[in-house]
Amino acid sequence: MSEAAGKDLTGRPYKIEIQDVSFDYVDRRTCFTALQHINLNIREGEFICILGSSGCGKSTLLSLLSGLNRAKEGRILVNGEEIKGPGIDRAVVFQQYSLFPWQTVKENVLFGIKQSGKKYSRKEREELALQYVESVGLLNAKDRYPSQLSGGMKQRVAVARALALQSDVLLLDEPFGAIDPKLRLELQELVSKLCVEHKKTVVFITHDIDEAILLGDRIVVMEPGRIRTILKVRLDHPRVREELIRTAEYEKLHRQLIAAFYDQVEENIDTEVAL
Amino acid sequence: MSKGLDKGMYLELGIATVLFVINLILTLTFPYFTIHKAYYDSRAYITVLVAAFVIYVLYLFHSRKKSASDVAVVLFGFFILWEVSYKLGWVHNDLLIPSPEGLFHVYLEKTPEILSDVWGSLQLLFWGFLLAAVFGTLLGLLAGWIPRVREVLLPISNVITLIPPLMFSAYLIMIFTTFRQAAIAVIFFAVFWPTFQGTVARVGMIDKQIIEAARTMGVGTFGMLAKVIFPYCLPGIIGSISKSLRGAFMCLSGAEMLGINLGIGYFIEKYKSFADYRCVLAGILTVGLITTLIDLAVNKLQKILVKWEY
Repeated sequence: MSEAAGKDLTGRPYKIEIQDVSFDYVDRRTCFTALQHINLNIREGEFICILGSSGCGKSTLLSLLSGLNRAKEGRILVNGEEIKGPGIDRAVVFQQYSLFPWQTVKENVLFGIKQSGKKYSRKEREELALQYVESVGLLNAKDRYPSQLSGGMKQRVAVARALALQSDVLLLDEPFGAIDPKLRLELQELVSKLCVEHKKTVVFITHDIDEAILLGDRIVVMEPGRIRTILKVRLDHPRVREELIRTAEYEKLHRQLIAAFYDQVEENIDTEVAL
Repeated sequence: MSKGLDKGMYLELGIATVLFVINLILTLTFPYFTIHKAYYDSRAYITVLVAAFVIYVLYLFHSRKKSASDVAVVLFGFFILWEVSYKLGWVHNDLLIPSPEGLFHVYLEKTPEILSDVWGSLQLLFWGFLLAAVFGTLLGLLAGWIPRVREVLLPISNVITLIPPLMFSAYLIMIFTTFRQAAIAVIFFAVFWPTFQGTVARVGMIDKQIIEAARTMGVGTFGMLAKVIFPYCLPGIIGSISKSLRGAFMCLSGAEMLGINLGIGYFIEKYKSFADYRCVLAGILTVGLITTLIDLAVNKLQKILVKWEY
């Protein structure tokens, strides 16, 4: 089922369109509405950060994007086609590493390459896997098993495996939530760099305001079940944290996000819904 | 062995060595103080003693465990007690309780018989176990992953596993034409259902995130079984092998005692009816030895196949 994708103001088609999506978790007695009528359009190559506190439905939204859950109402289009389930056009990095424990770092990445559906010879696959392993800085650890890696290293492998799938879209579900702050900064810069390099369209779930400003082109702030506001980040890539925090734009965004995040009413938040 | 041992460990090694030497002296020179019907030559017993001592010394230097010396002291102490009590005539019934020389002499007297019986048992065990492990694992993976298969098979298996396998082995022996087939069937039924249930449970415990990660990489139902669930469950499957092997061996011995005229269980049963308890004991000892060796082999296999958990 292919249909014309919606277009942005400059006439380029959207990469991802979330159209009037609702989702609720139903079990025998209760019905919990996780998302209500979400609308969001994402352009090719955009880095979207979805910011919200826990329980606001941001992870649910990502599970719908990945296809692990189906929307109860509305639909999600990727490249103009409605998604029907998980697919190799969208790579996912989970919060809990989710590496295959029986495979080494290199083998985990190789798995991604094999699943990408592209035709490579055995030798090409091996070389490509090593390239991805190197790009996340783990060449020394390529033959180690996940149980022998620290949390930060595991998440690097998960990123390499997601890149190896060679999809246009990359979805990350609070990938650095469980990693200590110093390592997190390294990983954020790495992901930012790699996503620009590989021209990925990214949806990045986070509850960390600084992380959202550092990485995002736009920041979607969620409140339970709904999008509260969308803020554009007018800062050039690559962003370096130390320089970033001294800019006026950072100050302003940070203030606005805090206000939105902690549900304080503040005037002149320039809202840009569905830009 | 270059590093040597701690001082205390040398002392313990010395004690164990003294006990070992006492054992040798006792068996070679200590006279019988009572009139026993049978005197056996002590070659086999001495071989066992020396072998035990060599294994102990090698293990001690290899592992540097203090418990090695403790085990050796207990073992050689037990042999001394046995030998002395026998030769002093504290044991009156040498039909039921043989001397250590007499017990181990069985292995010299009946070498071909024991070897062929052990070989026979191992063959039965191998085929019955292999078939059961392969099919049990395959069906278990399938049932663990596909709920509708599970809901049919699990209740059935719950009923069957409650019946001790030996109960229906008498029946199985009747319906199969040869004892070999019957014995293999008994082992198969003893191993198949526990393997199946264990695999189903293990698939149920699989980390959901790993499945989801595989799904987002476009892995389908059967790809999931082969590429994700099987390797994920492999450590557990191999871990359960040694447990179910023990069960298999028990059933095998039982089946052999029920009428199959082959194998080490049959050996025990035969000499029991001849009232030759020396041979019965030797047979029992052999079963213990073989099970231990198989256990060690499985552990080794696990370390080779499941590298990621070590």
